[in-house]
Amino acid sequence: MLKSPRYRLSVLTALMLCMGAVFFSVPAQVVAAAPDASASTQALATAPRSGAATGSVLVAAATTEPAAPAIEIAPDGTTGTIEGERFAITDFTRLNKGTNKFYEDSYYGYRYPMASEDGFVVVVIDATHALVYIKAGEATLLQADAVARQKDPAFLTLLSALDSKQSNGGQTIASLALNFEYTSETEVSRGSYTYRFGVEVEPGRYYATVTEKGSEDGSAGALFCVTGRVVPADGVTIEKAPEGFAAVVAFFNSMDYRPFWVSLRTSFVALVFVFVLGLLAARASLKINRRLQGILDSLFTIPMVLPPTVCGFILLVLFGNTTPFGRWLINHGIELVFSWPAAVIAATVVSFPLMYRTARGAFEGLDPALSDAARTLGWGEGRIFIRLTLPLAWPSIAAGTVLAFARAMGEFGATLFVAGNYPGVTQTMPVAIYFQWMGGHSDVATFWVFVVILISFVVILFINWYASRTQRYRRMSAAEQGAAPAPPLVPRVSASESEQR
Amino acid sequence: MRKLRQPIRLVLASLMAFSLVFAMAACGSTPKPEEPTVPEVVDQPETPAPDPVELQIFAANSLEKGLPEVQELYTAQHPEVTFIETQFKGSGDLVEEMKAGGSADIFISASKSTMDTAVENGNIDEATRVDLFANDLVIVKAVGADITINSLEDVKNFDRIAIGEAGAVPAGAYANQSLFSIGLYTSDTGKDGEYDAAIASKVVQADKVGTAANWVATGDCQIGFVYSSDIYRYDGVEVAFVIPADSHKDIVYPGAVTADTKNAEVAADFLKFCQTDPDAQKIWSQYGFEVL
Repeated sequence: MLKSPRYRLSVLTALMLCMGAVFFSVPAQVVAAAPDASASTQALATAPRSGAATGSVLVAAATTEPAAPAIEIAPDGTTGTIEGERFAITDFTRLNKGTNKFYEDSYYGYRYPMASEDGFVVVVIDATHALVYIKAGEATLLQADAVARQKDPAFLTLLSALDSKQSNGGQTIASLALNFEYTSETEVSRGSYTYRFGVEVEPGRYYATVTEKGSEDGSAGALFCVTGRVVPADGVTIEKAPEGFAAVVAFFNSMDYRPFWVSLRTSFVALVFVFVLGLLAARASLKINRRLQGILDSLFTIPMVLPPTVCGFILLVLFGNTTPFGRWLINHGIELVFSWPAAVIAATVVSFPLMYRTARGAFEGLDPALSDAARTLGWGEGRIFIRLTLPLAWPSIAAGTVLAFARAMGEFGATLFVAGNYPGVTQTMPVAIYFQWMGGHSDVATFWVFVVILISFVVILFINWYASRTQRYRRMSAAEQGAAPAPPLVPRVSASESEQR
Repeated sequence: MRKLRQPIRLVLASLMAFSLVFAMAACGSTPKPEEPTVPEVVDQPETPAPDPVELQIFAANSLEKGLPEVQELYTAQHPEVTFIETQFKGSGDLVEEMKAGGSADIFISASKSTMDTAVENGNIDEATRVDLFANDLVIVKAVGADITINSLEDVKNFDRIAIGEAGAVPAGAYANQSLFSIGLYTSDTGKDGEYDAAIASKVVQADKVGTAANWVATGDCQIGFVYSSDIYRYDGVEVAFVIPADSHKDIVYPGAVTADTKNAEVAADFLKFCQTDPDAQKIWSQYGFEVL
């Protein structure tokens, strides 16, 4: 007796520790992912060597300067500095696509928006050629004229690191063996394409444009573009991505906790319905004639065995716009589909059988002689149910309630079907897990997975504890009565009954 | 009494552990999306502040990263207009959702045919329909995966191919059209056909184009048919092969105001904003959408 709770306590502690360890290792992944910038920097530092034969500008630099200068890049990839250089790059943007769209009935070419009028643009023409446009005045910051710049790769190194940071899987400047050609001219022709820079299409809006002779689609003239501004390094500070504990805090701060509250709200409201309806249904199903009982019982239990999608489908057909009944409801102002009440209805339907079955089982297990005895005392049926049946069946009902709550909280299929995925309204934790994972946020999904596991764990723990408590009571009362084990639960009540008599 | 207390302690311990985690979780309260403060009208008291409008958009799943940024931009310029969280699903799913009674102000689809279906269902105000963006279809692989694809026929060499379920996911229909062009699919519309025996058992059908991209990123599938814009919104995938544009219908995203909206004017203005605002265009450009 004494041994088992201690044993359980230690197991519990171990489990909690394990969960905690895994749980906190999740934000650690976020931390690991944060210094992306430095990773891409390293990639860049090694990349030029592999392309040595192409004779690109980057290559020349990397072979003459073995130690790569440290590069710092802001977490959003728009700003970067490079160690020992007077310049920094800000407003960096990678433009994967441009547009052929006319502006006020005039065609300007396939245009990419530039960071500003004095910003730079790198147009990657094809897999081997890139055109770098820097306005003449801006070149002074890069310490030299066009010829000298080609021997100074710091600009390209930083540019390429920023590009790698923003590319997210697209072709990068670093992955292509590019020959960079510098220009300060606002119009350059290569092949059948003409590239123009600093074109003011709308007032105050500057574009790099690509036009093809005799065509109104210049899109084939470039793979992609990057743009940004060269500024003095002194004025630029790079905010760093949080690390360590700060990253954990940042993760929790950026979390959207609404799914937890939506789940809680939905399951509690559903539980109120389930509790009342479940008890009434259990009582009613025992009162009616035997043949009907079988049918009614199957009807009440069927949501437990049906796939939740079937429940969801039926609810959607019932309340949706596609059936006369649903339209009738909608015309009378009851629009249930894709709203929070729909989530409550879904949770109620799927958790109802759990409540119903446990309550019915408990009622069936009671000695009918007790209620008969109460009737001889002139008790009404309602009073018998509330004062006698319910207290006697309470342990099972409590367990059923908790189970129904857990089931309501875990509801996914039917909820998704009829209530959809509206964050803050119908997005419960299970729905959030699915959509966060599908949306590529596996860290957030993992967080919710652990929350749900914890809740379920506590629920089962509670049921076990509660059951063991009532059983202990039974054993104790059995010991008091002597050797013969009494039928469950009866002694205490018969004692109180006799007192009343 | 001791016997009774121990399980209580047990439950208390677990409850405390549980609440600890939540205290941690709640210590930084949920940062609500910053609501732009409505500028006080002091100089022109004669113009009353416009009524606040909440727009609900149903948008193709591939717009999941770009559209929220454009919405933020719009709210910054029009503080009275905010957005209820946009539904990003497969366009076909959204058409069904609207048909079932899901109410939206704007629908942006990833194909003309799904928009046509929505029009047939009577959910769309056809006069407002515009073509918003163009996109490309590509085959992706996990970053750094040792996979080379030189032609469309090479897809036969892989065991797990992620393709959107054509009924709900336009990207899947486009993919099937290109497979039809090399005889691996039986229907030229890309829907309601069957895959050739050479790949039939290898195709895994996804409920959204994002799911297909995610399966490739996680390594569950070797290659996937997705939009070129999808590589910019998912970590871990890169282009393995660009599918020739002439092997499938043009990938065009039509947008329209819905028939039962109460905010038709604002909704139409937002669609126009998506197409014409230079800052919005920059966002589309970053996420790989060509504004039409």
